[in-house]
Amino acid sequence: MLDIEPLFHIDNLSLIMMGLVGFVTISIVSFSSRYLKGDRKQSFFYLNLAILISIIFIMVSADHLFLLLVLWAASNYFLTRLMRHKREWEAARQSSILAIKNFGLGLIFLGSSFSILYIVTGETSIQIMLSKPIETPWVIISGLLMLLATMTQSALWPFHRWLTSSLNSPTPVSAIMHAGLVNGGGFILARFAPMLLEQPVTLNIIFITGVITATLGILWKLMQSDVKRMLACSTMGQMGFMIAQCGLGLFPAAVAHLCWHGLFKAYLFLASGSAAQEQRLDLEYPPSLKHFSMALIGGALGAYMFSLTSGKNIFAADTTLLLILLAMIAGTQFALPILRRHSLVKIPLATLVTALIGALYGLSMCFIEQLLTPLAISNPQPLNGLHLLALFVLTGAWLAILFGRHPKQKQIPTWMLKIYVRMLNASQPHPKTVTAHRNQYQF
Amino acid sequence: MKTMTKPKLMEKKANNMPVNNRYSLDTAITNSWSKVAPFWPLRNLIAVNPIAGFENLAFEEALKHANAYFQQKEMPEKMQQVNRQTIKWLQVFFDEGQSTIQMPLRHLGLIKSTLLLLRFDNQLHKNEPQKRQWLERLPQRPEAVIAEALLYLGTPTDEQEQFLTLMLTTLPGWAAYIQYRTNWADPQDTAHPYPVTQSDYLALRLVLTCLIWPEAKQLLSCHQKALQNTDISEPYQRIADNEAVYQKELVKKLVSLDVSKEKSRPTAQLIFCIDVRSEPFRRALETQGDYETYGFAGFFGVPISIESAVTGESYVSCPVLLKPTHNIIEKPNTSYQSYKSGFEKLQSIKKLYQSLKYTFTTPFSLVETMGIASGLWMGLKSLTPRGSAAIQSILKNAIAPNHSPNPDIQTIPFEQQVTYGVGSLKMMGLTENFAPLIIFCGHGSTTQNNAYATVLDCGACGGRHGASNARILTAILNSKKVRNALKKHHIEIPEDTFFLAAEHNTTTDEVEIYDYNFPESFAIQIESLRQDLKNARNENSFRRSKEMGVNTNTKRANKVTALRAQDWAQVRPEWGLAKNAAFIVGPRWLTKNVDLEGRSFLHSYEWKKDGDGTSLTTILTAPMVVAQWINAQYFFSTFDNVAFGGGSKITKNITGKIGIMQGNASDLMHGLPLQSVFKSDNKPYHQPMRLTVIVYAPKSHIDPIIKQHDVLQKLFGNGWVNLICHDPNAKQKFSLQRNLTWGKPH
Repeated sequence: MLDIEPLFHIDNLSLIMMGLVGFVTISIVSFSSRYLKGDRKQSFFYLNLAILISIIFIMVSADHLFLLLVLWAASNYFLTRLMRHKREWEAARQSSILAIKNFGLGLIFLGSSFSILYIVTGETSIQIMLSKPIETPWVIISGLLMLLATMTQSALWPFHRWLTSSLNSPTPVSAIMHAGLVNGGGFILARFAPMLLEQPVTLNIIFITGVITATLGILWKLMQSDVKRMLACSTMGQMGFMIAQCGLGLFPAAVAHLCWHGLFKAYLFLASGSAAQEQRLDLEYPPSLKHFSMALIGGALGAYMFSLTSGKNIFAADTTLLLILLAMIAGTQFALPILRRHSLVKIPLATLVTALIGALYGLSMCFIEQLLTPLAISNPQPLNGLHLLALFVLTGAWLAILFGRHPKQKQIPTWMLKIYVRMLNASQPHPKTVTAHRNQYQF
Repeated sequence: MKTMTKPKLMEKKANNMPVNNRYSLDTAITNSWSKVAPFWPLRNLIAVNPIAGFENLAFEEALKHANAYFQQKEMPEKMQQVNRQTIKWLQVFFDEGQSTIQMPLRHLGLIKSTLLLLRFDNQLHKNEPQKRQWLERLPQRPEAVIAEALLYLGTPTDEQEQFLTLMLTTLPGWAAYIQYRTNWADPQDTAHPYPVTQSDYLALRLVLTCLIWPEAKQLLSCHQKALQNTDISEPYQRIADNEAVYQKELVKKLVSLDVSKEKSRPTAQLIFCIDVRSEPFRRALETQGDYETYGFAGFFGVPISIESAVTGESYVSCPVLLKPTHNIIEKPNTSYQSYKSGFEKLQSIKKLYQSLKYTFTTPFSLVETMGIASGLWMGLKSLTPRGSAAIQSILKNAIAPNHSPNPDIQTIPFEQQVTYGVGSLKMMGLTENFAPLIIFCGHGSTTQNNAYATVLDCGACGGRHGASNARILTAILNSKKVRNALKKHHIEIPEDTFFLAAEHNTTTDEVEIYDYNFPESFAIQIESLRQDLKNARNENSFRRSKEMGVNTNTKRANKVTALRAQDWAQVRPEWGLAKNAAFIVGPRWLTKNVDLEGRSFLHSYEWKKDGDGTSLTTILTAPMVVAQWINAQYFFSTFDNVAFGGGSKITKNITGKIGIMQGNASDLMHGLPLQSVFKSDNKPYHQPMRLTVIVYAPKSHIDPIIKQHDVLQKLFGNGWVNLICHDPNAKQKFSLQRNLTWGKPH
């Protein structure tokens, strides 16, 4: 470990973040060297990107509370500059203003949270502060304010709108946004994990916030008819899940999620020009019960392999159980198409492939978790009613998509129509960020 | 709410049916739509004149109207609100497979389904009971809804048509797409599961307007004012001047002496599409050896739809002005079963991914599992597009190998086969002196991550690749039976002549020859042709690289163009038909020694072999019209890329898999993207110029054709196309004037 007292502290969390952002930046710069050719704001883009990345590198290494705060604000400011690539385009300007307002609010939350910490501990070094127990109820207020800051940064409901309205940005900016700064919330929570792990109530609130966002985000994602808003709603959902993992006390898993999702989403944004060519295949829902139960077995084996390679106890009676059950759902969903194509003769094949994928899943999570072991920020919590409720919702929603196809001849109940319209409206971008009059678009 | 300034009218609604004359309303609806040009979906982007609805006006007059309708910078805020709501509903209704949870009730059609849902849309009615009741009491028939809404908005009867037009032109891209769906759609869209009619859309538009902006009548006066303030004389003059300079140069270049001498038998004859990208390639090839080249519409005169036996997909492969008359099934030459199972394997791998991605809960695990792989892939594709393309092709070939398909032409009756054979050979004047090898060469493009990919494909094949049509025509002309029948039409194809199909990849300049089933004796000739095509490729790639601003040499140029076809970050993979300006109808010797700079459509034609003008009639009313559509699309996309084009690719967002929006949401951006016609944001590459048509035939040969065809009178008479007659009898050039008499060219 490397300490440049008293301002900086570089640990594996910082290095992971630098690795992620650095790698994505290299890809994006290379991509943009052709993608932005001829664009009159090309050098503006590179300049701001360079500043932004430098700030992020310093920010993830910062140990001084207020240095972190200042860098946090600065990085967000430069992100909004990148978002407003073409300032003559009113809708893009409005997207940027919306983001500035949101980040401004986040800054107030984070600033207040840090100020409280400073006042009650008298420390400015995060590491020193976290190394000893803080015994005052104020720390709960600070934790909650930190959660609010996280919510604005990581686009958690109800602070999601800036993200779902951010698609007036050029594609590479969206890529760096979704692989970079939107993860800021997760980073802050992981940084202060030792403190938050002392507050079971706060963890539960974090968890619930995450689950609500995860559910809404994925629901909206499934409803969108344009590729970029679909990706943005999906990010919102993924951020929700990452925060929920924090709420489970599984901060390393959350950081793993943050990294892998970042890479995945950056790729999807850059590839979004191919959306029209992607052919959606009929998955022939609902499956027969026979297929489904076979797939469940495959899923269970996948989950077992996941627990094995990620070093988790499959019969854990704590919050890791949630991760294992989610792995099982994913395994089942994965095994289904194989079984359905090859009939039941191929059960061994389906289970084998599912097991392999489960193992791969476990390994990729384990990789990050191993790196973060020295930070000791993994502390599974005892299961409670909230966790079970969330599990119930996540499983139910999955089964609803699988089995809930509505027969055409039947009338769709009014409440469903009502929910559809309400959710459609809720997932619309802010009206000012829509180019309602074509000629107001400017390149 | 301002909306409530007319509550009385709203209350009266239920018992006060409109007293409009139904006939006049129907006419108004039809006429309003006649101003809207269609816009094809991304699947096959056909070039269209975006202001084709104004072609019945003189060009300058049309520019003026287009300005008032489409180029206004301002729009009342309330109308923008109407647009936002319209876009929201159209996006979900016209989604062709992006969303997993789709808009319910779509099978009822646009207006019925939206009316059932609008009741719950509190962004619209803000939970005001009056508005909700009004919505619920609306009649079922869209025309009745339109009548009622017009009455409510207080539009005078004589201005209804104009008002309806404005309802369409204030969101022109979406209206254009609906024009396509209702009037021009491919067979698969005419029996669409989610139907829409022109009245449906107008009804929806008006309902939204009634709810949001009851004073929308103001649009009429806004438009009137805009029309009065419009002055396009300056840009028009600039365009006309550019055209004059270009025409003068072009006319000077064309030789007036028939240099066709006693012809020896060439090594091979190659027939390319009339596409402007063929011209420089033809020239490059002709210098390689004794090759004769021809220009012909790339669907080669066979109006067909193609169905793949492997994938089961089918598409129309002929100009949109024609309806396909035959469905041709293409099957791999060998081991059909193994290709089919390869294809299915690929599909099931895609299914695994989609199965995890498009549902609840599992996407969380998906990203964690796929993160590393997609990250590495992203890096590879960005840093070394060539390497990633190689890996991709190895993987793809391991799972589902590429195959060269073979058409089954049995579905075309024999007489028809003969007709197609005779028709195509006669139209381009290739009826004697056949070379041993004759190659029909279709064309297509290869690009990555490009929403606009089909813009670069063959327009004559309906925005598709042209190889299939070439394969069909060669199969017909290689048939002994057909050749025998051709003799009755005075076309004698020698025994030792063999027809081959090929495809010109316009992005890489590679020409792929489909050389199966050829007689052994041709092996050497085909091999040397291949070599010459390779040289021609290098030469043309070099020329094109320069145009794309890349410094290279003839040896390395093919690598430059090949890279552009593989690079997912490339926004200018090729220049497409940019700079197109002329359409030349005549024999090749007329243009052979001239560098036309890839700006001309070339259609082969021998007037002496076309006594009654049948071929010329077809050329002027079909390929020339298509060329004019293309020309107009490039013209207007450059003229105003926001109003008529697609805007910059860097902020594009694909909606419903059918079209492009800018950013979060916008009008459907019909037209070419900025990068297709601009070198950089500020520098246009294409130059807006109307099409100049040059016909090598006597005036007396052309005149009767113009007289008989309204479309030609419209295009020439209104100044949309400039016609120059290169008269072999008078040994002079004449320019057709607006009054359809001949005068001096520039």
